[in-house]
Amino acid sequence: MREFMYYITHAFYSATGWNEDNTYKELNATARELIDFPLPRGLRLTLSSLATPHFATSYQLGSVGIVDGSISYLHSTLPLTGIAAQSDRIPLPALLRSYRQLHDLGSGDRRQWYWGTEEPPAETAAISSTDGIPDRHGSSLFYGRLYLPRSLLEGLVIRRLTPDLQVQLSAVSERSLRNGGTLLGLAQYDRGKYGVEGLASTDGGLLGIRGLYNFGGDTSSTAATLPTNSSSSENNGGGQLGERERIYGRFSAGGEVYYGTLNKSGGMSLGARFATLPAHRGTPLTATLTINPLMGNINATYAVLARDYCSLATRMEFNVYSYESEWAVGMELWSNRRPAGFLLGADPNSQSDPDPGPPRRKERSFQAKLEWRLDDEESESEAPRREAKPAAARSGKEYRGVLKARLDQNLRIGLLWEGRVKSLIFSLGTGVDLRKLGEPFRSLGLEVQYSS
Amino acid sequence: MAFNFNWSPLTADAEFYKRARDLLTTALNKSPKPPIIVDDIIVTEFNLGSVPPDLEILEIGDLAEDRFRGIFKMCYSGDAFLTLKTRVQANPLNTYLSAKPGFTSPQPLAAASSLTIPLQITLSEIKLSAFIILVFSKQKGLTIVFRNDPLESLKVSSTFDSIQFVRDYLQRTIEGKLRDLMMDELPAIIHRLSLQLWCPDQMVKEDEEPKEVDEPGVNPLATPPLDAVDAHGHLLDPAAISELTLDGGPEAQLLFSQKTLRRLSDLTRSQVTSSLDTAAPGDVLFRAWAGQSDKDTNSPPLSTPNLARSSSYTSAHTYTFSDSGSQDHGSVPSRPSLVHLNSATAGLSLGSGRHSKAGRKKKTRVVNLRRKAETELGSEQGDETSETTSTGIPMSEPLMPHPILEVPEEDLVSGKVRFSRSPELSEQSRRPSMRGERPKAPDAQIPAAGINDSVTALQPPIQLSEKHRPQEVSKESGTIDSKADWRRSRPMSDTSSVILEQAWIMKMAGEIARRVYDEKMRNPQFWDDQDDTPPPAYEAR
Repeated sequence: MREFMYYITHAFYSATGWNEDNTYKELNATARELIDFPLPRGLRLTLSSLATPHFATSYQLGSVGIVDGSISYLHSTLPLTGIAAQSDRIPLPALLRSYRQLHDLGSGDRRQWYWGTEEPPAETAAISSTDGIPDRHGSSLFYGRLYLPRSLLEGLVIRRLTPDLQVQLSAVSERSLRNGGTLLGLAQYDRGKYGVEGLASTDGGLLGIRGLYNFGGDTSSTAATLPTNSSSSENNGGGQLGERERIYGRFSAGGEVYYGTLNKSGGMSLGARFATLPAHRGTPLTATLTINPLMGNINATYAVLARDYCSLATRMEFNVYSYESEWAVGMELWSNRRPAGFLLGADPNSQSDPDPGPPRRKERSFQAKLEWRLDDEESESEAPRREAKPAAARSGKEYRGVLKARLDQNLRIGLLWEGRVKSLIFSLGTGVDLRKLGEPFRSLGLEVQYSS
Repeated sequence: MAFNFNWSPLTADAEFYKRARDLLTTALNKSPKPPIIVDDIIVTEFNLGSVPPDLEILEIGDLAEDRFRGIFKMCYSGDAFLTLKTRVQANPLNTYLSAKPGFTSPQPLAAASSLTIPLQITLSEIKLSAFIILVFSKQKGLTIVFRNDPLESLKVSSTFDSIQFVRDYLQRTIEGKLRDLMMDELPAIIHRLSLQLWCPDQMVKEDEEPKEVDEPGVNPLATPPLDAVDAHGHLLDPAAISELTLDGGPEAQLLFSQKTLRRLSDLTRSQVTSSLDTAAPGDVLFRAWAGQSDKDTNSPPLSTPNLARSSSYTSAHTYTFSDSGSQDHGSVPSRPSLVHLNSATAGLSLGSGRHSKAGRKKKTRVVNLRRKAETELGSEQGDETSETTSTGIPMSEPLMPHPILEVPEEDLVSGKVRFSRSPELSEQSRRPSMRGERPKAPDAQIPAAGINDSVTALQPPIQLSEKHRPQEVSKESGTIDSKADWRRSRPMSDTSSVILEQAWIMKMAGEIARRVYDEKMRNPQFWDDQDDTPPPAYEAR
């Protein structure tokens, strides 16, 4: 489960029109979230509130043997009016969904991405319509969090300087750290077609730069105007997209270099990604390949949104120097039943036909395939348009829980079951080690979140 | 007297190596490892070699059938070797990130991917040169303490020998690690091993100990010290000790009234909680006041026992290591852990620091000082009985009451001189046993000064009526002891100690008279001079 403050921070990104995904850091975010989702440990309660459009608080109380907690405050100079902050209204995919659809690269008029394939709530329409307010690019976000027994203080400042430039400054203060704390400065430059980030950390004098370049797909000149058109509706594309029924996606390639000026050490990596765009007709998929030439590490991931309620991901890692290899698979299964539905063995498919989701289209009719032509555009484009709206609206209500699972080469299983019970969002997770069947449960945790 | 050290049977025993490997492996993996080491450190090969170390006996403090205490000088340059195996993280960015908070992490995508490399390290050509304090007793097992850094040099060869930078780094790191191991872990390993060998029942007790720690009963008298020493540093007969505890134990508990105990616990608690309301138990002599006579006793650099005592005071659990094996009632709170050994050495310097501070009190009137020195003599010695044994520092000579001799001498010295002397004092006292001449130095002084001391010290008790004086002494020592440390075990009680004191005094008087006689026979004119003028503090009162 994403934390409330994370959700608010990303709401800020979307309110300012910042494309958070257009950075090398998020290259394999989909597979990472599908496989490396964090398992809760112990009991954790979170009470959060977006008290005013400018101000949010969150209190957390946890118990893993000892009781600890944290207090966090967030202030945004930009009013976050369009945010569904109540825990009974937050769209679950925004908090829980791992598969990330690519979104449009337009640098000026970006839409909220994090709603995923769900239809954004009605209020966001107001945001997108008021995108043109002038002080949007000078807006800032301040965030502070104090962990209580440990006296660890976190601070974050995000400031949007220009439409293309954003600066982040994050700091941690704790007694046990060297010099009492660390500071990380991050300057992000996003031009849509490419995004560059420079960073500097006080810890070891680390300097780094990373960049991502997009090509193919919607970045090519012919398709450049399409996303903005489609974005006004439910990613439903015009008829021109019919030409791209085979595969329609975007290539991204990038790299990162780090150098610690004080400890005289460094690191680098290169990466590439192919991901289908929301307008793609077939199954949405994301494939990435990252290489660390210094350490000889090759990492390949493949994630697919097999159905709207089911995502799968695999990851393979291989080191050409040490011949060590790793694999892991992850899965995410959404349920539109009550949270107990999984235990009762309900098949979400049998209950109600899953809505195909906006990116998915009706298959070409068999007749049309035979004749090497497309279906009639009128009938084709009207049907999903009618269908998608109630489907999306229904799915927003109906998805009540998600089961995430992963398995790695050490036969360790992570299970996470998240959902909503009345107005509480819960997350129940456990780690199972199949190698040690005597005591298989390595961890068990429950997180409960309430926000108003 | 001869010692026969047998090196080869130890090394020939295959079982021994296996056990030692296991113990070393657990010891190496016990402390949290740096992030660069990603796997357990496994000791694959361990051989003590065929060349035995050179042992030189510097002094033997205690020798009996079931116990031994002595200082050795050990030199070793043999062919022992040790091979370790582990895996290290080769990506510096990975180790860099692992110790940092995630919030400010730069979150590299793949630049921090791990590359683990198996590493094999062989340590050979180990050269050691150390002063070892060895305490052995059948009940407590074998305790070894290094008084200095034993490691002189060693050769580290590893998988990365071809890379100069890595080799230097490994050499440096491993030398540091090994020093820690030698000073901290090795004595623990040897102690545990010896317990396994000689008294396996004690091992069980150690495991049970933590349960008993919480016992509310803090009974300072329940556990007598094993190597009890009497007021003058002579070892008590073990039979006498057992008799003492058997007879005096239950009664003695009654002698500390509940009220006093409660007050004292209030007092100690008030220091913990920094409460402003401190109870003031009456008839109590505080250490701070006693510091003055400490200082006097410490002025000759030889008096290690007193230094050791103050060290055990500043870190009260220093001696639990040597004592814990012998606990019958489990009132020692901590399991033998070698961290305390560090604090023992630190305590030495702490103790000397305290003396320099105490020197400030020097400005009080002379008469006052003498009085105090005399009255506290008994308590000081009472403390020494328990504490010198507990710290396990061997005594090269019977503890002669130096203060008496020193008082007149110190009176002549101004306070400023005292201050200037204290640094070198601490310097001298910090490594007393390191000096080659240490065993010789007492020889030079003791016949002259030491015996003179004992005579003057013990003359007043003899002159006093036998009933009055011992009671006074034991009362003082009792209060001081219980105040100073609850866990300190002391076999003294009022009733038993009165008898005992009388017996001691009689015995000591006889002993001293005999010595004095001997000395006089040897050196008559010296004694004639000294006896004429007894120190002014001990004139009849």
